[in-house]
Amino acid sequence: MASSDVVQYRSPARRVLEVLTVLFLAVYLIWTMLPIFVMFVSSFKDLLEAFKLPRVGDWSGIGVFFDFNPTFQHYIDLFDDNNFSTYLMNSIIASLGSALISVVFGSMAAYSLSRIEFRGKKDLFFWIISTRMAPVVAVMVPLYAIFRGAGLVGTLPGLILAYTTFNLPFAIWILKGFFDNVPYAIEEAAMCDGCNRFQAFQSILPLVAPGIGAFLVLCVLFAWNDFLFASIIGSGGAKTLPVATKELVQPQNIQWGKIMAAGVVTTLPMMFLGLLIRRYLVTGLTMGAVRE
Amino acid sequence: MASTTADDAGSGRLAGATVTMRSGAKNIAYQPATLNPTPSKRYYLYLMLPAIIILAAISIYPFLWLIYMSLHKVDIGGAGDVWNNFKNWSRLARDSKFQDGWWLLIKYSAMCMLLEVGLGVLLAVILNNSRFEKMLVTIFLMPMMMAPVIAGLVWYYLYNGTFGWYHWLLQSAGILGETSILGDTSTAMIGIVIVDVWQWTPLIILIVLAGLKRVPRDQLEANMVDGAGPFRNFLQISLPNLYPFLLIAILLRFMDNFRFIDAVLVLTGGGPANSTKILPTYLFDVSFQFFKLGRGAAIALTLLVVTIILGLILVRLFDSPAGKAGQTSAEN
Repeated sequence: MASSDVVQYRSPARRVLEVLTVLFLAVYLIWTMLPIFVMFVSSFKDLLEAFKLPRVGDWSGIGVFFDFNPTFQHYIDLFDDNNFSTYLMNSIIASLGSALISVVFGSMAAYSLSRIEFRGKKDLFFWIISTRMAPVVAVMVPLYAIFRGAGLVGTLPGLILAYTTFNLPFAIWILKGFFDNVPYAIEEAAMCDGCNRFQAFQSILPLVAPGIGAFLVLCVLFAWNDFLFASIIGSGGAKTLPVATKELVQPQNIQWGKIMAAGVVTTLPMMFLGLLIRRYLVTGLTMGAVRE
Repeated sequence: MASTTADDAGSGRLAGATVTMRSGAKNIAYQPATLNPTPSKRYYLYLMLPAIIILAAISIYPFLWLIYMSLHKVDIGGAGDVWNNFKNWSRLARDSKFQDGWWLLIKYSAMCMLLEVGLGVLLAVILNNSRFEKMLVTIFLMPMMMAPVIAGLVWYYLYNGTFGWYHWLLQSAGILGETSILGDTSTAMIGIVIVDVWQWTPLIILIVLAGLKRVPRDQLEANMVDGAGPFRNFLQISLPNLYPFLLIAILLRFMDNFRFIDAVLVLTGGGPANSTKILPTYLFDVSFQFFKLGRGAAIALTLLVVTIILGLILVRLFDSPAGKAGQTSAEN
């Protein structure tokens, strides 16, 4: 709120600037929402309606966009004909599985890393975070070779393990910052009261629980939105929603209504989750470099 | 936290009583003597171990494999890998697609970043003075929640030359001709940059907003007393305070551009005529279209090394004020 409540004069130039600002915000708002809006609306259009477009330069023809009979057929088709219920299950299992593994083991590691000092701790940290930052395609080359040898390609456990490559380092890194903010004195006090070490650890859990929950959700979001791992490591037996959506695109006879419906099915839960953890989003997406 | 960690219960009390003084500096390591001294390191080690083992299995082991693969002709059928005298590496020097890939990746990232940072800072400054900040930011966040592939598909639809609305819009405005923005070698790059800007500008807005909240108020006021207007105030006080945040934002976006190619794969797949074949896409093609895993490994290693260097710079920044002042801002 630094500069907002400083008294300022409203000169004419300032008025013009204000109008321009509002205009700019409006344009940006439209620019942000339009693709999402088009996706939603198009998912209710049937095959031909999705292709309707006014003639070039015919600005008044813009109403064509809203000229359609809403149909839920695409959503029904997706789940009836295209096996989307299986893909939805795959997506849920893979993302939730890797998120749970990452957060459980990650919080244990983060807790102990925030409580002790040892030589090489900085190097260990750098290793952890560089694992997370490594380009997915680059990681996938050896991972594919290894998983293929182990028979993990095309299976859900394989996909969960692949997602763990970016979720586990993320969880350790971000939760360590969380545990750092919890004073050791609380555990000491708990131990004075007769708790053992594990019970002392439990005693601080309520303090970090909201953060752990939020980052669990964020891990789910990262895994859910992944495409590369799912398309290569999960190809065949463990197809997830993004991959299934991409596969609806065929050289001929593209059913855009259906693809948009699949997009909505994939996107909607994540938008909801994103809003749910809005408070932790900046910290999570910047790997804890920026706190809000 | 105790700098002297005792390994067994007996010496814990002793360590608690020690007061260490170094020459010059007063360095008092005080720890109250308790029934339960600081748990031994071993306890923490056990807690840490599962995560470290998993992480090693899925990062160090593959990394060693990557090096091994880059030195061999890898056969996926199981016929065994053959040592090929650094052929994978020497080929990179002659591989024009590899060099173009790097060049295009840098160009792509630079374009994305310039637009995103410019837009992001502008919007953050506007939003910071807006009454509707919370609501607007929440709406602006939406694209980030979308899977990049889905974003790519939606934009692919909008860009389409025969039925895409954005193409119609651009064509009607006389900016674009018959060919779609993704179909022309001169505009395809702009097309994929726009999608990235659409999806990731919100992140910059969030980071810069967090930074703006932390600009010291007294500095702003002092500058105003000295006669500075809002514009000069921004340039002289806010911007210098924002630098660490901007640097973090830029590095994060740079690394994400290296990390994710989902949208690019869907939008152009590297075409037309390789004009958008940024290095990760090329790597994807080599490894998973032609299954030349050995050559792919060599390319992957170069990509990894550069990302690690960027990562090193980023980690340095974690000690900057951006990450630290978190607690103080919560009270304001």
